[in-house]
Amino acid sequence: MSNKSLTLGHYLPGSSLLHRLDPRVKLLSLLILITALFLVKTFFGFFLLALFIMVIFAVSRLPWRYFLRGLRPVLYIIIFTLALHFLFTKGGVVYWRLGPLTVEEAGVFMGTFMTLRLVLLVVTTLLVTLTTSPIAFADGIEFMLRPFRRIGIPAHEIAMMMTIALRFIPTLMEESDKIRKAQMARGADFETGNIFKRARSMVPLLVPLFVSAFRRADDLAVAMEARCYRGGENRTRMRELHTGPLDYYGLATVTAIVLAVFFSGV
Amino acid sequence: MLIEARNLAHVYMPGTPFEVEALKGVTVGIERGEFIGIIGETGSGKSTLVQHFNGLLKPASGEILVDGKNIWSGETDLRRLRSRIALLFQYPEHQLFEETVFKDVAFGPRNLGLEGEELERRVRRSLEMVELDYDAFKDRSPFNLSGGEKRRAAMAGIMAMQPEVIILDEPTAGMDPAGRRSFLELIEKMHQEEKLTVVLVTHNMEEVARLAQKLFVFSGGQLVLQGTPAEVFSSAETIKKVGLDIPPLTELLQRLQKKGRVIRTDLFTVEEVGREILRVSAGGASIEQ
Repeated sequence: MSNKSLTLGHYLPGSSLLHRLDPRVKLLSLLILITALFLVKTFFGFFLLALFIMVIFAVSRLPWRYFLRGLRPVLYIIIFTLALHFLFTKGGVVYWRLGPLTVEEAGVFMGTFMTLRLVLLVVTTLLVTLTTSPIAFADGIEFMLRPFRRIGIPAHEIAMMMTIALRFIPTLMEESDKIRKAQMARGADFETGNIFKRARSMVPLLVPLFVSAFRRADDLAVAMEARCYRGGENRTRMRELHTGPLDYYGLATVTAIVLAVFFSGV
Repeated sequence: MLIEARNLAHVYMPGTPFEVEALKGVTVGIERGEFIGIIGETGSGKSTLVQHFNGLLKPASGEILVDGKNIWSGETDLRRLRSRIALLFQYPEHQLFEETVFKDVAFGPRNLGLEGEELERRVRRSLEMVELDYDAFKDRSPFNLSGGEKRRAAMAGIMAMQPEVIILDEPTAGMDPAGRRSFLELIEKMHQEEKLTVVLVTHNMEEVARLAQKLFVFSGGQLVLQGTPAEVFSSAETIKKVGLDIPPLTELLQRLQKKGRVIRTDLFTVEEVGREILRVSAGGASIEQ
């Protein structure tokens, strides 16, 4: 039902090694791996990185189909990239010819290369988002943004906004499901008709949803105010982030492997 | 049988770690004109069950029959079904969206294809049914009404569909005692005067004890008890085990009975219970002989 659309970035609780790592370590590792994926220039380099990502995947003990589902939204981008490179990147041996269209060696090479890169990027990102709770994720982001406070980026406020937004996604989904059903019980039809009719039919759903979102925002603001909330400077936290030996090993492993890949002559 | 659930099961978010089995093999039947009460603690599956009655949820297994026909066999027009079997959700005022009360109440009948004078007549009648004055309320914004008025307006929106069955999911949640009382009187009146079949889902034992003819008690997605309020509340132990309570008046009568009094325990209003206690204490000796 409604939960399926949220797979990209949807947290799956668990107790694997990957789940237990510090979110900052995971974010940093993600950054390193993404950079590596963009810099790699040979299939051999990709092979090594893919192998490493497969190992992380095995450690995460996540079910396969979450990755397949997560890849579905980028499927069109992948097909598009593949088609573009196959048809328009020229050079080398001509494999196939139909009128003015040719598929040439360089195109096949680049197409496969780009597809691999995209798939690995998505899988790596999913490995982090699926094993990190939204709250830990926001805490991690706040930490990573801290150095930029000096140039005026409000790290704490951004993290707070992320936490609140993430916190309300399930609530609002539930609410919209309820309102949709309530209007369906009054004979509303959300499924048939052309695009204009369908857009119009969203009004009975969207108005109550906005009203309730504003009411919730207002309630939350009052509740935070009543607890004397003020963000930023000198604020202590309930969950302190702690890095243990495991986290250092993890980060060291990622760095070492990425460096090894590059020194082996990408 | 008007509505029948046969071996109904429902699973939320199947195939994920969040999977919940909300209903496990439930079989219940509702006759035309009945006043049914459904009770059970939070998460017992009662709301899930009633959303199956008008096809808002699709069962994982088992079937739902309306007038003896399986509604998921592909022959039933679900939109038509939903106008026959209306469902009023908890906090129904959250469904209001139009600029005026008239337009909002008219939303349902308009979806049924009604227009012009007939539409106006429907709206007028529905508003009168929920005791909101048509001329005073029709042009007001539903967002500027008081809490109780909003709820009545939402109820009118449902009544405007002219349903045969009305399912109410905790209709009095968050209302003050006076609002609660008058809202329940309204429902009772609709049951008696409009011959509506009513299904009332609630946490409030006194309400259902007094109003319902038949009770279904749910716990952990299963039907654990059914029968008249007197029958159901006589199984005090089961009721307490599933996290519910016996209405205080019933408990009082049951305790008096345990003390050896010959007293009826199937009375649910203060007046009736008062009279019964007076009768027993005044003429107790002659009855106990």
